[in-house]
Amino acid sequence: MSTPVARSVPAAIRSVLARDRWALAGTVTVVVIGLVAIFADVLTAIEGHDPYTYDSTALDPATGLPAGVLGGVSGEHWFGVEPLTGRDLFAIVVHGARTSFLIGLAATLVSIGLGVLIGAAAGYLGGWVDRVITWSADVFLGFPYLVFMIALGAVVPVEFPRALLLIVVIGFFGWPSTARIVRAQVLTLKERNFVKAARTLGASPWQVFRAELLPNLWGPVLVMATLSVPGKVGLEAALSFLGVGVLPPTPSWGRSISSAIEWVAVDPAYLLFPGLALFAVTWGFNALGDGLRDALDPRLGAKR
Amino acid sequence: MYRKKLLAVVLIGALGVSACGANDQKPAGDAAKPEKGGTLRILSESRTLNLDPAKSQSLAITTLGLVHRRLTGWQNAVGQHALVVPDLADTGKTSDGGKTWTFVLQDGLKFNDGTPITSADVKWGVERSFAPAFGGGLGYHKDLLGGGDYQGPFEGKELDSIKTPDARTIVFTLTRPYGDWPWIASTPAFAPVPKGKGAEADYQEHAVASGPYQIAKYQKGVQVELSRNPNWEPAKDQVRAGLPDSVVFQLGQEASVVSQRLAADSGDDRFAFASSFVSPAQLAQLQQNPSAKSRVVTSKSGAVAYLALNTQKAPLNNVKVRQAFQYAVNKAAYQVASAGTAALAGDTASTLITQGIEGREQFDLYPSKPEGDPDKAKALLAEAGFPNGLDGLQLVLNKSNNQTDKGEAVQAALARANIKVTIRSLEADAFETETNLADNPTYDLILGSWQPDFPSANSNIQPLFASSEIGKGGYNTSRYSNPEVDKLIEQAQSTVDPAEAGKKWAAIDKRILQDSPVVPLIYTRNSFIHGSKVGNFFIADFPAYPNYLQVGISK
Repeated sequence: MSTPVARSVPAAIRSVLARDRWALAGTVTVVVIGLVAIFADVLTAIEGHDPYTYDSTALDPATGLPAGVLGGVSGEHWFGVEPLTGRDLFAIVVHGARTSFLIGLAATLVSIGLGVLIGAAAGYLGGWVDRVITWSADVFLGFPYLVFMIALGAVVPVEFPRALLLIVVIGFFGWPSTARIVRAQVLTLKERNFVKAARTLGASPWQVFRAELLPNLWGPVLVMATLSVPGKVGLEAALSFLGVGVLPPTPSWGRSISSAIEWVAVDPAYLLFPGLALFAVTWGFNALGDGLRDALDPRLGAKR
Repeated sequence: MYRKKLLAVVLIGALGVSACGANDQKPAGDAAKPEKGGTLRILSESRTLNLDPAKSQSLAITTLGLVHRRLTGWQNAVGQHALVVPDLADTGKTSDGGKTWTFVLQDGLKFNDGTPITSADVKWGVERSFAPAFGGGLGYHKDLLGGGDYQGPFEGKELDSIKTPDARTIVFTLTRPYGDWPWIASTPAFAPVPKGKGAEADYQEHAVASGPYQIAKYQKGVQVELSRNPNWEPAKDQVRAGLPDSVVFQLGQEASVVSQRLAADSGDDRFAFASSFVSPAQLAQLQQNPSAKSRVVTSKSGAVAYLALNTQKAPLNNVKVRQAFQYAVNKAAYQVASAGTAALAGDTASTLITQGIEGREQFDLYPSKPEGDPDKAKALLAEAGFPNGLDGLQLVLNKSNNQTDKGEAVQAALARANIKVTIRSLEADAFETETNLADNPTYDLILGSWQPDFPSANSNIQPLFASSEIGKGGYNTSRYSNPEVDKLIEQAQSTVDPAEAGKKWAAIDKRILQDSPVVPLIYTRNSFIHGSKVGNFFIADFPAYPNYLQVGISK
């Protein structure tokens, strides 16, 4: 029988950051962009623009394209401006980070929380509960959730807070993969003596879950969470790309990328900055998650 | 309406609309003279091509005109007023001040199957447009012919207001005098349909042709091929050149891809033009390609783009609040968002009647800079009892033609005056369901654009502001209902003399804007691109669309 957790979680993180430079680079990227998201207002105040104000003086009067090279990059506009509007692209990207992080992380919390509870219930309780949950997970994994989300985005009234809707929907559809892994972990854990002992002493399932199972699940849960954030961030971008994500004028990388595509031949910088930001976040979380998995899962053995 | 509608620049010269200083404008066609023969390709963004006259909103000079003739037609050219001219018949005569109209068909006209075209076929075509199964076409004639609960000819009843004393004469008795009736007779419903035919829903796929072309092949959603109609005589048709031997419509073509293909100008694309507008991104790109730039044709003027305010819903039922919007908008930003530059987008608008329409008066009841005057808007809102501005307004728009970008420009402009707006971008069908088809709509604002269906101020104003056009598919989306205006509209409509009618319409224009049911934004220009072998591709002063009937292929 394998040992699910090789060492304590903080120790594992310290060791992976010390020895895996990809994971370190990923962590730095995530932290930097996270700080950018938190201090978006400060940063844009330093630059002197907000993401909402139209400014036709920053545009070429002959075409409506940004005035100047590389999409109007200058000391005034650090990432240039949007064509046709003159809105500051730095401010849009920076505030877009806030949208992406908020929705990506919150949706991950929802999906991991649901997944752990449902998966643990299936694994520990077994019987018909397990069968129902396993069957539902299969259904949900095969469900065309993107189509469902697009449809939902179109019918939910605009008064409903859009960010909350995206968090709930993206988070909800994420539970089955987490639940499957947690269920497998719990199936092995519940045969261990300390769990059997707790049960024999009369602990309720909830007490066993809290005191015995959860502490041993932190490692794999953390890895799953980290690895699923980029997928959630990407899903938010995809929905915004398709026009059913956050509503304008709230900045969103997905929506910027969507409108930038038409301009790519004449103003590639417009696609470049939001695209790079989305790439950096997804790569950062993936690199960090990979490193954590290597460190926390002894079965994978050798490190890079 | 939102798709193929027109615009109007009939009187450009007379009115001296010199504001059209578009340096990139090139209204005339190519120097290359088109010759008879060849295959013309028309690249269409839409997946459907409607060739059923009853269901059509097509202008007299575009798609439908290739296959179907109408009682009257249009003659238009760059720098000239659009005129209503004889097509199947003469341009109509009235003996009692515009209530009864008589048209006489030309002798010897035939359908493509060889049967003669009679006045009974025209009558049948008009009656057919009343059948619920064939709705959706232009319906200016329906009220005037007293068709209240008439359900079309397939239930065995005739429309008594149309008489056909002989095979070449058709007489319309209207419910009230109507000076623009000869223009109405150029709308699609006045195309002949052989009496007794056209009961099937897919009539558009094999419609009987009276124009220069007949339907050779109809592949739903993919392609429609038109071939020459052997029974069409050029000598009996003064509005159609009928130059190409065949015309091929390619459907479902992504607009931006089409622009790039036509800019590249290779293979069959040299013989093609796009029926959709060139998008702002494409226009910016084409500015750097001299060959392609020379093949972009921009109209002088076009529709009036406007922000409609739902006058039946609080807080916009307050006229002070609505007037605040006139100052809150930023027309300059709207121009840039529409086409990148004011020259390509079109002039800022302050009237409802579009440039070049007979009788149009230039005035501005709410003068401010093109950027607007947010402070004045705030002051008006405060006066109306909203010192903190407005929150939670819903702006509904149709996704096509970059409307979302334009909507965001409006949203940002209104935010300067503390008016907070949420945008809902809908697909065309959903948009119609929630706006002009809804009995009790929830929107506050709508972004729309309107081009007259014929070059008369009547067609600028009546469809948008008569109380009869609220809901049920009408386009009075500001839900503006004013008995005084309704009465004035009826009076102007019954005026047969165009100059006198023009004056009345200009007065109505001002009267309506005092109530501020809409905010005029710009008079839009439309840009189209064509291949290098397409000749005589021009956009006349009216409408702002190329004249499909005159286009030919050059060698």
